[in-house]
Amino acid sequence: MSADPRIAEEAALWADRMNRPAIDSALASEFDAWMNADARHREAFAELQALWDSEVLTLALREMQDAPLPVVAPKPPPRPRKPARQTVWRLATLAASIAAALVILPQFSQQTYRTGPGEERHVQLRDGTRINLSGNSRLRVTLSLWSRSASLTQGEAYFDVRHEERRTFRVQSGDASIRVLGTAFNVDHQAPDRTAIEVYRGAVEVGGSDGGRQVLKTGAAANVLAGRISLRPGPTQDRPEWETGWFDADNIPLGVLIDKIRRYATQPIVTTDPSLLSLRVSGRFHISDVDRALAAIEAAYGVKVVRDHNQIALELR
Amino acid sequence: MPLAVRQIEPEAAVAPEEDWRQIASALTGYVRKRTQRHDVVEDIVQETVLRLMDYRGKGQLVSVYALAFRIAGNLVIDRFRTERRYAAEAVEEPMSPTALPDRVLAGRQELASLMQALQAMPPLRREVIIRRRLHGQSCATIARELDLNPKAVEKHITRGLVDLNKARMRSEPMERHQS
Repeated sequence: MSADPRIAEEAALWADRMNRPAIDSALASEFDAWMNADARHREAFAELQALWDSEVLTLALREMQDAPLPVVAPKPPPRPRKPARQTVWRLATLAASIAAALVILPQFSQQTYRTGPGEERHVQLRDGTRINLSGNSRLRVTLSLWSRSASLTQGEAYFDVRHEERRTFRVQSGDASIRVLGTAFNVDHQAPDRTAIEVYRGAVEVGGSDGGRQVLKTGAAANVLAGRISLRPGPTQDRPEWETGWFDADNIPLGVLIDKIRRYATQPIVTTDPSLLSLRVSGRFHISDVDRALAAIEAAYGVKVVRDHNQIALELR
Repeated sequence: MPLAVRQIEPEAAVAPEEDWRQIASALTGYVRKRTQRHDVVEDIVQETVLRLMDYRGKGQLVSVYALAFRIAGNLVIDRFRTERRYAAEAVEEPMSPTALPDRVLAGRQELASLMQALQAMPPLRREVIIRRRLHGQSCATIARELDLNPKAVEKHITRGLVDLNKARMRSEPMERHQS
């Protein structure tokens, strides 16, 4: 640990600054100069960055926010909505974002969001789009001046996309692509060749790698399997199911269901027999309750769940 | 570590040589704190520096250090995930949780220390840290929503991180100091 409190504070300030979605080049050079100046700077920053990236810190913060303490932060009174003031704010924000865009013009901003098992993350993008990321998921978002795109390489996410006339929003998930025009929808990346999409508001255009295209409107849903689009019954609620921790399996491989449970499990779930993963399963599973979900699988599909202190093994009975 | 990724200024003039050894040594400190597995540290650092050199060959980097830590951070996570996936497929040699970086189960001591530090903070500071680090809110948003000035927000974040870091270091198991 750095003995010099001044260096520790500077390192903390840089950790905050360097973990923003976009950094301007003047600040970046200043950072490199600071790092080059002194070995103690580098050591202190390495510590602070490791803290910033720590999954244990994520857990600690979640715990603190979920369990409010006796001493609660005073909530600021809701701001009166004065239209004139809002407009001024908007203009100021607009001016600021134009200024920011000018600074980072040769660049674009790209950010990867990850969640650990059982973790859920709410992200607000700079364009106003909101994304809820399920557990054990990974989403890369790229915003440039002319386009917006997201790539879901693992897991599941719910998108509420802010409509913009000139910058469409695209989501890639395995071999499925989705073009968005201001809407709310859910994308479940079940496997590289298996994506499920549900639309809660507005419309999206889904593309499969076989060249097929299909517009999905509010209340519609589709699967993209091995690049082919197939329609399926739409959602019955107005929010994606995973937000409640449940999953409706309709004749899917057990491996897909296991992957979904892995989004919540803190221990590795392993299997001795690959043929087990291709068993077809149907039913409604409480996937956020790992024990309960595994018990249901055990009861219904002739699978044995063997636990030891560091893993959960699934075996054919 | 998120930041503007295209860190390349095409028209930049010839830049000074980077001191790769200096960068590698900073990265070593970082990776050691992110994983218990000392055998992968060198690998990750080396891979990071190679990738950096590759980027560097393509143009002037806006910040070689920012990019370095981001690459290393991603490599740590990738390693973590590959090993998990491996553990799920080949079961002859089940992973021991002690081998995982930032291991959730064995990090209890660390978790307790961090929570203690959070509890000891002024509530406002804790709120700012939660918003910034957990929800990814910008300083400007936090300042607006909590009626603070942006400098004050920055100060809360800085002080809060320093406190958390102290707590984390105190809980650090001795094994980390080996090698």
